Amino acid sequence: MLLRTRQFVALAALAAREAVRQPIFLLLTVSCAALSAALPVVLMHKFGEDGKLVRESALAFHFVFGLFATGTAASWSLSREMRSGTAAVVLSKPVGRDMFFLSKFAGVAAVAAAFSASAAASTLLSERVAERFVAEPLPGGYLVDWHASGRQWLAIGLALLSAGLANYRRRPFSSSAFGFLFLFQLVALAACGLFDRTGAWAPLRWNIDWRIVPAAALVTAALVVFAAIALALSTRLRTVPTVTVCCAVFLVGLMSDHLLGRHTASLPASAARALLPNWQNFWLAEALADGGMIPLPYIGRALAYAALYTGAVLFAGLAFFRRADAA
Amino acid sequence: MNRAAENPTGPPGTTTGCGPESAPAIETASLCKVFRDFWRRPIVRAVDGLDLSIPRGEVFGLLGPNGSGKTTTMRMLLGLLHPTSGAVRVLGRPPDDTRTKARIGYLPEESRLYRYLSPRETLDFYGRLFGLGRAERRDRAEQLLEMVGLTHAADRPVGEFSKGMARRIGLAQALINDPALLILDEPTSGLDPVGCRQVKDLMLTLAGRGKTILLCSHLLADVEDVCNRLAILYNGRIRAMGRVRELLRERNRLRITMPLLGPARTLELVATLRERYGEPVDVDHPSIDLERFFLDVVGSALKSGESASGAGRAAGLAEFLGSAAGRGETDQPC
Repeated sequence: MLLRTRQFVALAALAAREAVRQPIFLLLTVSCAALSAALPVVLMHKFGEDGKLVRESALAFHFVFGLFATGTAASWSLSREMRSGTAAVVLSKPVGRDMFFLSKFAGVAAVAAAFSASAAASTLLSERVAERFVAEPLPGGYLVDWHASGRQWLAIGLALLSAGLANYRRRPFSSSAFGFLFLFQLVALAACGLFDRTGAWAPLRWNIDWRIVPAAALVTAALVVFAAIALALSTRLRTVPTVTVCCAVFLVGLMSDHLLGRHTASLPASAARALLPNWQNFWLAEALADGGMIPLPYIGRALAYAALYTGAVLFAGLAFFRRADAA
Repeated sequence: MNRAAENPTGPPGTTTGCGPESAPAIETASLCKVFRDFWRRPIVRAVDGLDLSIPRGEVFGLLGPNGSGKTTTMRMLLGLLHPTSGAVRVLGRPPDDTRTKARIGYLPEESRLYRYLSPRETLDFYGRLFGLGRAERRDRAEQLLEMVGLTHAADRPVGEFSKGMARRIGLAQALINDPALLILDEPTSGLDPVGCRQVKDLMLTLAGRGKTILLCSHLLADVEDVCNRLAILYNGRIRAMGRVRELLRERNRLRITMPLLGPARTLELVATLRERYGEPVDVDHPSIDLERFFLDVVGSALKSGESASGAGRAAGLAEFLGSAAGRGETDQPC
């Protein structure tokens, strides 16, 4: 049992490490962070709630870039390994197919969680830059928190610079940059707790919209579901068809309420609606408008839905993978 | 359908003995593999009724042209491909049994490495799959890196390696568990002649320590140099099988080797032989093969102190690759 646990951890860690070392993963992560950081600067938000548009756009970046990151990571970690032969080498060791498949999922789910943590930090920072908190005695009109914005951009720049230095010391650039980006964004967030929007010393006045955290957690759950779908498809399809089918599943799942919700009397429509992942369950950005909160019971139900759906998809994927020729 | 076909990994009919430890290292009976397309229509019969029995401690060569079924056979022996029919036993157990896999080392045709891992990380990863402790993994990795001459490149990503260097690290990963059975698919592919010789010497040393080796190669000289027995596959079927020396021996010709005699005495000897026995006699100088000549030239360059980039000089066999007999892995009487 101990050996199996060790094998599982080793395989999952390898899947995560290989995914994070892919240049495409860094490109997606840095793009997500940079676009989120640019939002408060380029968006004209005069709709009465300054942070809303930035918050929703940053969460949308989190969702879309996360889909590509987890989709490619899942596909690369299984489909590409099966075609390139590394899966065959691993399966020639004392490793069962079920363990191989499930550990790949664990690794990709960990990557999705890591990506989400970084993207959530970006969203929190961007919202802080844009939001004019009503509790703060500020003059009327729009005010960008240039100090927080500067720290956010500095975090991105420093992460890339530090990764360059680490690479000089023979550390992989992509994974180092990702680690440093997350670390420096956390530092930038911590600095928000020490300074107010004008840059004056104001310890422990965070002015961070923590309501974003549950919304980001739901997006993470969606990414984990997506990773399971991509992994199950990867047992039979190559990378490009996998990503293409995943995109189709994403779009149809996003529209399933609109397309199929009207036909509740139709059995095929109801069945299709039940089978398709309903991404709307995980998109709660609008619920934060006007000071709204995501109710805790709803989060529990959405996570349970994600767990059940992921379990069912993994079960199907396992059935495919058990009979697949790994060569 | 015969019984073996119903249970593709079940016991072949030829199996005798008293348990997995006494069974042949590899045993197949009427093994077949048919590849099918997306619609389940048969495309090709890659292996067709293969019967093999390889005893423990033997170095067995599997030869054949491209598409003859060598690699497919190997992959079925490893449990990577499911046989369409027939039976396979490896070390007395089905090939997908994890107890079997724990005692196998496999080097695929291409080295198949994780390109973003360094050699040290690669060996550590595979060591973890075999449940080796941290200290043992580190120790074995260092020994193997030294053995294959890659200590100086131990922290570079494998994706940056030349084919020959990747081949060396592929060989190292196949040995991390000190396997009882080594399955090597084109082990010298991509290696320079020095590397080829080192790999062949390694195989001979391992065979001397009781390991069973299944070698699949296009390079006939490799097989001739190291194998006890061989089989030649064509279209998925065995066309010839036997001991290498027996198969290659020209039974109706004889060669006599002797010290240089000088032209006059040589002519006299030839004339005597022709006169006495009435058979045609050829006289020539025996020649060393090109591999030996190349190794002598490179050996001289090395002695003169010239350094080379790429893979470094390989050391001797890793210490932990001990005698199989010492751990009870050789054939035991019932």
